[in-house]
Amino acid sequence: MTLSPNEAADALRDIAAIETRSHRLYGYRQGSSHLILWGVLWAIGYGLTEPWPQQGRAIWSALVAIGLVGGFVIVLRSHARVANRTGAKPRIYWRFPAIALTGFAFIFAGIAVMGPVSGRQIGAFIPLVVAAGYAVMGFWLGLRFTIAGAVLAALTLAGFFLLPTHFSPWMAVVGGGTLILSGFWLRRA
Amino acid sequence: MEQPDAIIHQPLRLKIMAALKGLPRGERLEFMRLRAILNATEGNLGAHLGTLETAGYIKVEKDFNGKKPRTRVSLTDAGTHAYAEYVVFLRAILDDEGSPAPIGVATHAD
Repeated sequence: MTLSPNEAADALRDIAAIETRSHRLYGYRQGSSHLILWGVLWAIGYGLTEPWPQQGRAIWSALVAIGLVGGFVIVLRSHARVANRTGAKPRIYWRFPAIALTGFAFIFAGIAVMGPVSGRQIGAFIPLVVAAGYAVMGFWLGLRFTIAGAVLAALTLAGFFLLPTHFSPWMAVVGGGTLILSGFWLRRA
Repeated sequence: MEQPDAIIHQPLRLKIMAALKGLPRGERLEFMRLRAILNATEGNLGAHLGTLETAGYIKVEKDFNGKKPRTRVSLTDAGTHAYAEYVVFLRAILDDEGSPAPIGVATHAD
């Protein structure tokens, strides 16, 4: 049996494509839990701020805290599972908190600079930033993230401009629902 | 030039190794997901996984996810090393493209 240069080149191309696909599917699976978590929190947050707009700050503060802790737990559990199996040393998980901190710093700085803004504007601005984040992530991690971000941005804008009086319920159902469905879509990839 | 690893040289086994190499170290891939990535039949994939496991290149773990049986596969350190060596071998063939004869590969039973 022999292996020609053409066969070697084909084999290298094949395995590079398979490695990329496997890595992308792994990224989808890792990202899916975060999308589902935040989808549920968005549904609760927008759902509660509709009847109790005065409590919006308290509601969202609590939900964001839950989301950050929940996201950190997802990352920790994933790393701990691998570390247990491989006997690897525990790592310092700085990326997730750093990304979260950067994102929230940018969002609050943006709101402060543009203020005064209404609750509806804040309620649209944050999902648009999140959608942009997913869209950009998709350039590295796979098209599905980009599609999820684009759909989320389009639906947020549609609700903001076309349904101004029903924006919160729209975002609770459609915004939260988009994140949840996107999470399951990534998981099924 | 050294002979390539006969275990990995089989095309589907090479692809299995590539799929597992695409994961972070120590992560596992479910059998059904692996099958979808490689577009392989269940029986064929199972047989080649057995060969790779016997060689110590992969670890196969079977458990239950709720009531559903689940098989998960991961790359061992020996497998990671063997795969890296095989990729070097393939690249060397391209580097030697100007040489008169193709590289011989040891025959093996699949």
